[in-house]
Amino acid sequence: MSSEANHSNNSNNNFVIISNEFNKNNPEITTTLAPPNSRHDHPLVSTFSSSSRLASPPLTKTVGSPGSPSTPLRRKEPEPPAFEKGIASEISANFGQMVQIIFIKPLRIKLAVEPPNIVKVATFLRDNLGYDHAESVAGTDYPKDDQIEVIYHLGSYSREDLAGQVLSIATRTNRDDARLPTLINVYKSVEYHERETFEMLGVYFEGHPRNERFLLPEDWADIPPLRKEFRIKGR
Amino acid sequence: MATIPEEFRFGNFLASIIWIILIVIVVLTLVILPLTFVILFYAPLPPVNGEVLTPYLFLTMIVDPTRTLPIVKYLIHTTPFKVVVFPGFVFSAIIAAATIFVERKFLAKMQLRVGPLYAGVWGVGEGILQLAADGLKVISKEILIPSGADKPIFWAAPIAFVATAAAVVALIPVAPGWVVSNTNVGLIAVFAILGFFPLIALLFSWASNSKYPFIGGLRALHQMIAFEIPFILSALSVVILAGSLNLTNIATSQHPFWFILFLPISAFVFFISSLAELERVPFDLPEAESEIVAGWLTETSGMIYGLIQLGSYLKVYALSALFVILFLGGWSGPLIFPPQLGPPDAIPLVKVLTLQGLYNHITVNAIFWFLVKTIGIIMLMLLPRGISPRIRIDILLHTGWYKLIVLAFVNMFVALALIYAGILGPGGSLSIH
Amino acid sequence: MADLEDRINESQKMGMQIIKESEDDRLMTLSVGPQHPGSGHFRFVVKLDGDYIVHCDPDPGYVHRGEEKMTEYRNFIQNIPHLERPVIHDSTNITYSYSLAVEELTGIEVPRRGQFIRAIASELNRQVYTLYWLAIYGIFLGHSTMFMWPTGDRELFIDLLEALTGARVTHAFNIPGGVRNDVPNGFKDRCLRQISYYEKRLKEYEDIFYNNPLVRQRTEGVGILTKEDAIRLGVTGSVLRASGVPYDIRKAEPYDVYNEIDFKVQYMKTADSFARAYVPFLDMRESCHILRQLLDKMPEAGEVRAKLQANPRGPPGEAYRRVESGRGALGYYIISDGTPKPYRVKISVGSFRNMLALPHLLVGAKMGDMPVIYWALNYWPVEADR
Repeated sequence: MSSEANHSNNSNNNFVIISNEFNKNNPEITTTLAPPNSRHDHPLVSTFSSSSRLASPPLTKTVGSPGSPSTPLRRKEPEPPAFEKGIASEISANFGQMVQIIFIKPLRIKLAVEPPNIVKVATFLRDNLGYDHAESVAGTDYPKDDQIEVIYHLGSYSREDLAGQVLSIATRTNRDDARLPTLINVYKSVEYHERETFEMLGVYFEGHPRNERFLLPEDWADIPPLRKEFRIKGR
Repeated sequence: MATIPEEFRFGNFLASIIWIILIVIVVLTLVILPLTFVILFYAPLPPVNGEVLTPYLFLTMIVDPTRTLPIVKYLIHTTPFKVVVFPGFVFSAIIAAATIFVERKFLAKMQLRVGPLYAGVWGVGEGILQLAADGLKVISKEILIPSGADKPIFWAAPIAFVATAAAVVALIPVAPGWVVSNTNVGLIAVFAILGFFPLIALLFSWASNSKYPFIGGLRALHQMIAFEIPFILSALSVVILAGSLNLTNIATSQHPFWFILFLPISAFVFFISSLAELERVPFDLPEAESEIVAGWLTETSGMIYGLIQLGSYLKVYALSALFVILFLGGWSGPLIFPPQLGPPDAIPLVKVLTLQGLYNHITVNAIFWFLVKTIGIIMLMLLPRGISPRIRIDILLHTGWYKLIVLAFVNMFVALALIYAGILGPGGSLSIH
Repeated sequence: MADLEDRINESQKMGMQIIKESEDDRLMTLSVGPQHPGSGHFRFVVKLDGDYIVHCDPDPGYVHRGEEKMTEYRNFIQNIPHLERPVIHDSTNITYSYSLAVEELTGIEVPRRGQFIRAIASELNRQVYTLYWLAIYGIFLGHSTMFMWPTGDRELFIDLLEALTGARVTHAFNIPGGVRNDVPNGFKDRCLRQISYYEKRLKEYEDIFYNNPLVRQRTEGVGILTKEDAIRLGVTGSVLRASGVPYDIRKAEPYDVYNEIDFKVQYMKTADSFARAYVPFLDMRESCHILRQLLDKMPEAGEVRAKLQANPRGPPGEAYRRVESGRGALGYYIISDGTPKPYRVKISVGSFRNMLALPHLLVGAKMGDMPVIYWALNYWPVEADR
């Protein structure tokens, strides 16, 4: 199963694809409610769908989207849209092995980057591709992989053709010693988001001016609350 | 709308009326009548018309106007009466209270709401007893003094505030002869007393030992001092035309024409400066709620707050009355009251009820027109609260120090020109001198 | 793990010392704190040099309730009532985005009539929130009439929403798959009547507030956020549009039926506080046009909600959907692991993003400009804290 899921050529063992982990527990996931080809009727897809067959096979396969290869296929794998593919191929052309493309969906692209390379990739995205701000920074705790994933959602205000696009960059770090380089010098808008990720998950951002408590009360004496071992009292 | 008003029951209403009558009768018979008898029995009273002054003779005399009239007339013209009742404290306090209520209702109608409604019977008073309820509430609240506050000044400042406001009221003439203190330098005295307010604000804000009152007190200081100069200058042009500093003389010298006709710009400057002196919107920065909580009034609570509010509204009345005297002719107006209220040869009780001997139609007329004009100016002062936001301190200081002083000077030169042209002033063609 | 704990403790100690009395005697540290009529449930510490603010440090978190953590304990449908609590007046928009993300994860199709009703409720809610914001902006400037009028007009919209959803503020109306119930009889006429009355009222707001010379004097030229700064700081919503960037999620990434509606993105180029106060007003006007079109185009009959299974779930995956709410782009990033409960929900709210502009704009401003700048950033403290 793992070989099927790992379509990319990245041999870096730190990365585990999401669908892989969850499919271990639920081998028979069916999309119970969606009729076949519902993806193409989606209003988003109708704006950007490209029904033309591409001459060359795509660089990457979409992994982790609904209808992943491990499930009994009820519909075809959706074709990655052309515009997003162009952006993704430009990124791949520049960085090659450093960047792994997780999926390309209409208006959404997700990349996976190792922590040492993230500042370079982000700078490239800001200067060359025109993604000029970061919308949000989300940290997720994966205790089963013993990792914490921090994902940055980037958007663009200045380029008209990128208006609805959101590019996500994901990095992973160990749970025990969670350290990541900060992107504050590339995108100033992550300042408060990274601070919140620090206090909620315990990820230390190197270079961030204030890794401090932000939303939690001053006398918070517990583990970072968004970690999975933190249980809400009574539940 | 916190509670639904109780259903009106006539039986309960009647019962409460009967209770009140009962209590009055009990108090009267058990306390007042014996007290009267005791005093009259033991006090050495002179014989009246050869008769001993018995209580019944005393009570008869009360109804007889020829006996009581001289006493009442004497009493009314004494200074304590003038200070306490009219035109002093009680009169101005009633006007201040009415101003507060009218302001709330007036603003409410402008803002598409209703205002006070439930105090006082709904439909009858429409909230007219709200003020009494607020007064009772303010008296009964706990007074909190911040730690480290300067207690003597903390207690003294609100009392000084009310006292100063009352002192300004004391100089205002309501009708010819009806003024608490008739000095020849009345106008200068008003300015001198008004100059005391910034000091009180600053002392109180400093004594509060807190940051927000500190900022508010400084703002009050800057604001009041900045606007005193245009205030005085605009009043000065009136003095040039009237030729006297005595407020009564200024009012009477406007008999041919009101000064506002010749000094409209001065009147405008005076009005704006008095809005700033009163800390009313748009000049309510010392108590700017959204920036500095309540400014220099932040630490007031309970009766201290009540005293300062009372002082504020006394000042509103005083400065509006001053505007009326300086620019709108004081009490001049057409004579609309009859010389006598009742027939001259009626029974004594009717004579007493129609105030014969006491009623002077010229005085009543003066008081009436004075009140009409003052209430008009007060309403004009209430109006900006519904249409203006708050101004910022640097715009305020810029306006006060530059623009208003220039305007006041302009009108002063106009006044001087009119005097030199021989139109107004002593010996002019349009004056009474 | 012990190293991490040490680091957390150390930073907590740092966090507890958030106010350091300044070394310079000249500066006064003022806590515009939660107990302040001019701040809402939010605190920021300013250092004043006379009348000028030299330093500002926001301190949110007074209403932090752990919304994101709580979503992991409830399934997709059960999450709706507590997710709308961050913004109780704009509750339809904050659950709209969530519903869109869940629908993408689970593949639920929303019937057309449901999409229209959702959009109508969203626009009505936008009016409700913007009127509340305008009322508070009026009172921050000291303009009490501008507090009473929008609050009064807001009641009419709340009555409409109460007729539609059953509750005045927290509606719990949007669910993944559509809306909970259909519109009542006569709703369309009532709505149209209300919009006509309201457009007249908007003219009066302009007369008394936006054309008021004192308001203009206080807000024009105050707190200028240049276009480059706005993009760099990543602000969103009316703040962004007031700085000259015509970005609206309803146009950039149309969701539901917004690609059928014809409207213009309202923006201004002056980038001062007046522009930030005026753009929501223009948005309200435009929202009236949108409402009329939506009411026109709504199909007469149809289902309003998809038939849902007991515990809707989808294959493992993630979704990031955004909606234009009253304060800006409201994004939901939901990771699903195949169970009925989400694995992680991250809410990206406009207020949290706009908070970054607060220290940037307040430094160098006068104390009197503080409420003018602060509230014009369209910051709702409860939403920022989640």
